[in-house]
Amino acid sequence: MAFIQGLFKTSVARKNIMAVTGLFTAFFLVIHLVGNLILILPDSFFPIEFWDNVASQHDMYNAYSHFLVHFWPISVVAWILYAGLAIHIIDALLITLTNWKAKGEKYVKSDNSTSTWYSRNMGILGIIIGIFIVVHMGQFWLKYKVLGTEHDLYDLVVGTFKQTWVVVFYEIGIIALGFHLAHGITSAHRSLGIHPKSIMNVIKYIGLCFAVVMAVLYGIIPLIIYFNN
Amino acid sequence: MKITLKIWRQDSPKSKGKLETFHLDGVEDDMSFLEMLDMLNEQLATEGKRTVEFDHDCREGICGQCSLVINGQAHGHESHYTTCQTHMRSFKDGQTIFIEPFRAKAFPVIRDLKVDRSSMDRIIQAGGYISAFTGMAPEANSIPIHHNISESAFDSAACIGCGACIATCKNSSAALFMSAKVAHLAKLPQGQVERKERIAWMVNAHDEEGFGSCTHTGACAMVCPQEVELLDIARMNYEYNRALCSTN
Repeated sequence: MAFIQGLFKTSVARKNIMAVTGLFTAFFLVIHLVGNLILILPDSFFPIEFWDNVASQHDMYNAYSHFLVHFWPISVVAWILYAGLAIHIIDALLITLTNWKAKGEKYVKSDNSTSTWYSRNMGILGIIIGIFIVVHMGQFWLKYKVLGTEHDLYDLVVGTFKQTWVVVFYEIGIIALGFHLAHGITSAHRSLGIHPKSIMNVIKYIGLCFAVVMAVLYGIIPLIIYFNN
Repeated sequence: MKITLKIWRQDSPKSKGKLETFHLDGVEDDMSFLEMLDMLNEQLATEGKRTVEFDHDCREGICGQCSLVINGQAHGHESHYTTCQTHMRSFKDGQTIFIEPFRAKAFPVIRDLKVDRSSMDRIIQAGGYISAFTGMAPEANSIPIHHNISESAFDSAACIGCGACIATCKNSSAALFMSAKVAHLAKLPQGQVERKERIAWMVNAHDEEGFGSCTHTGACAMVCPQEVELLDIARMNYEYNRALCSTN
């Protein structure tokens, strides 16, 4: 019981929760990216003799999305992910409220050169990502999985990314995600108590690389579809 | 050199404060920042005006009593300096300097630039001690501990408790200050007796005093006069999780 209480009670414990839910979501980003990279692979990548009944990018993407919707263990993991994201957001709100209360009067003259702008604005970046997730899920998850009004996800995705505002909106969301990860990955490991200097130096480097790779690979998908069509 | 000072003036903890402008002529390069304030106060006293109140003690950079946010940075713009070790040669002739008190809800202003930092003392009282009888300073090398560990513990123990980390933190978190003590004692054999309880006592006291959560921006470590490392906060989080997971 003390363990459960301690898990939620203090400022340190709340950061632990942020770290665990954040890292879990970051792991999901990798899986999500791998599937969606199909969208930018050429048709020659899917020879019919090698891939069963799959002769094109179109077939492969729809086979992949059909698998995601109909393989039940993935639904279970998805619900864990939604719960994790919800906890991440609620915990962030609780921490932010406490931090606002802790602040004294504002400095008349402030100088922020001692830290990066993105580490100070994780909340604002988080809000941008939150809005992005709502729109993104409304465009695809809602129509394809929940309502079932769209049956060809590939056509839906390609059709959506033909619109300029959608591409611009996605790029903004993905850049915000990149900066959120650039601070979040390292910060999460510190929150969890990883403290040997040699390990943290490597994690800091990996965290930055992860953020750049995620932002670039996610960022090029809408751009390639937009310019190919 | 001539300088213009914009200094926070506030009569009492409850009253409303504001910046007041002063002009000082004849400031010398080799004056320390506090000597410059002494000069201002002599001028104010001669004119029969109320002097500017600020905290100071040793003026050697080791006691942690001086504070001040100078031009938006705790202890001024020179990295890892205390205010008393900042000298006027690092400012330009004709420069305007903003001087404000350390800000945090847990640091109420007493008057002008003086703030009440006793909330930090209460965190230390909650668990930043050991109950073992240590006697006089022991003979060198008589305690079985690796040199690197004792050096690392000493780096954490070097915290002078000035509160610059809190004044700089956007969340007014005392994580770096608290973690320096937690890490210092966790690394040494003398600190093992209360190791598990200490972290819970200190973190609870930290939260009760109204400090915020650490979001690892790293600003605290950038201004710390003793260069306490950000990794001490990670060490403190490790100690917290270790205590949480231990069954006895």
